[in-house]
Amino acid sequence: MRIKRLIIGSGKAVAVAALLLWSLLPIAFIVMSSFKPGREIFAVPPHYIFTPTLDHFTTLWTRWGVFFDGLVNSTIITAGATALAVIASTAAGYAYSRNSSRFLDSSVLFLIVVRLIPPIVVTLPLFPIVNALQVNDTHVVLMVLYATFFVSLGTVLMRTFIDQIPRELDEAAQIDGAGRWTILRRVIVPLAAPGILAVAVFVVVFSWNEFLFAFIFTATKAKTAPLVISEMIGSIDGVDWGVLFAASTLQLAPVLLFVIFMNRYLVAGMTAGATKG
Amino acid sequence: MKEEGKERLRSRSLAHLMPLIAPVHILILSVIVIPSIYVIWLSVTQSSFGKAPSFVGLENYIRVLTDPAFHRALWNTVGIVVVAVHLELAIGLLLALLFASGLPLRRYLLVAVLAPYAVSEVTAVVMWRFLFDPDAGPITQMLQSLHLPILDWSYEPTHAMILIAMLTIWLHLPFTFIILYAARLAIPLDLYEAARIDGATPLQAFRRVTLPLLGPAIVVALLFRYIFAFRIFSEVWLLTNGGPARTTEVVAVYLYQEAFSYNAFGTAAATAWIMVVVSLLLAVGYILLLGKQVNANAH
Repeated sequence: MRIKRLIIGSGKAVAVAALLLWSLLPIAFIVMSSFKPGREIFAVPPHYIFTPTLDHFTTLWTRWGVFFDGLVNSTIITAGATALAVIASTAAGYAYSRNSSRFLDSSVLFLIVVRLIPPIVVTLPLFPIVNALQVNDTHVVLMVLYATFFVSLGTVLMRTFIDQIPRELDEAAQIDGAGRWTILRRVIVPLAAPGILAVAVFVVVFSWNEFLFAFIFTATKAKTAPLVISEMIGSIDGVDWGVLFAASTLQLAPVLLFVIFMNRYLVAGMTAGATKG
Repeated sequence: MKEEGKERLRSRSLAHLMPLIAPVHILILSVIVIPSIYVIWLSVTQSSFGKAPSFVGLENYIRVLTDPAFHRALWNTVGIVVVAVHLELAIGLLLALLFASGLPLRRYLLVAVLAPYAVSEVTAVVMWRFLFDPDAGPITQMLQSLHLPILDWSYEPTHAMILIAMLTIWLHLPFTFIILYAARLAIPLDLYEAARIDGATPLQAFRRVTLPLLGPAIVVALLFRYIFAFRIFSEVWLLTNGGPARTTEVVAVYLYQEAFSYNAFGTAAATAWIMVVVSLLLAVGYILLLGKQVNANAH
């Protein structure tokens, strides 16, 4: 019995070790290598002990200043897209949670279906339209695109979360003379905060990391950080890997910390999002 | 009480609700629905920038469906969907069972599994390109020192597809795992207790209790991942650009090349609608299942 337990225990230990290697090794390699002196990056076997240097970050600053503009653009676009998606989804989620009609129910179905249309499809008509409206290469275009591809999931999630808030609270507020917008702001929003955070995690991660739309709809002024990194990969023969690692580390670190910090809401959102639509 | 409330509200006019739901629907209609419908029109016309479109019927669809480059792209995509998604599901299932069997520091291990969810496709490509760099990558070096074959992904299309599949699994395993793990945790403990009392071995308990009850979650995870893997673009574009000689293109990359490299908006639009139709067919499965689950919950 003890031997059996020992075997199971060591089997689990091996599985956990494999899991950690698989999940974290690529991340650890990038972050570690961004602090390694240039010659040591490709050392065999890899050096785990080295004198950390900020050389790659200073080179990034002097040679690829555009990357830092990219970080600023990514921040602005992520903030805008998240605000837009969260506000629109919360309002709609409230309406869907508290009302029911055949029209509303079928429009939820419509929201679910829309979410499954591949984003690349809409680039074909939107590309000429965005150019004609002269809004190409602006923050607003990406904000609207990113928010739109998450409002359907956002609405369904918010409906699920708001369903859990007792109706009696709305009714009590109504009796006290509060209007719909006041109820939404004073009763629903504070109590649905976990749902709002779950929606926000999805939009933040997506907007911060997105490549396709940024690639098609921006050129110079609104270029996001992932797009600048992709250009650095493109010139890989000339670029030194250290600088690429420094940029990747700076792009990755904030969103990784955010996901770690918010993991509870991410898990809640993923579960509700897949089973409720 | 709840039903009564709903009944009362049902009589309220829809106009009253419009301000609340309008922003979501305006965004979706103007950015997704109307453009997607317009793509149908594009797909039956011949046009490029600045020229007036002319109606050509199904010609674009025929051209796409008979184009060897499209066949290659389609098979590559199907390969990724079939291989990567099923492997991902198997790994996700094993992980979910491992976590459910009781692990120390489970909270922290869960965060470790979630970590790749935060990584952008661009950064993931940088990571895996470095690890598997054919000349100097750490994993290549390790494989060479063990006299194992290496992934020569910049020349060998099959090797490139293997690397893309690994990358995809790495990025999306967190999602698949969470869906399955949540479903596994929802299985009542009494069922395992009952199985144990009836003398079931752990393997029998897995086959008779775990697997049937995870069924719906497995199908949901699969359909979601089919739909999302079918639209794969960035990983392929950033790793190989579809090359060498269009051998590693996937459907979305083919679409992009038609539209933005060759200016053939008609065939690109036809490709786009083929993608929409495939996605919606998979979606029908998902929605039917969702309806079934809602009914099951109601009982």
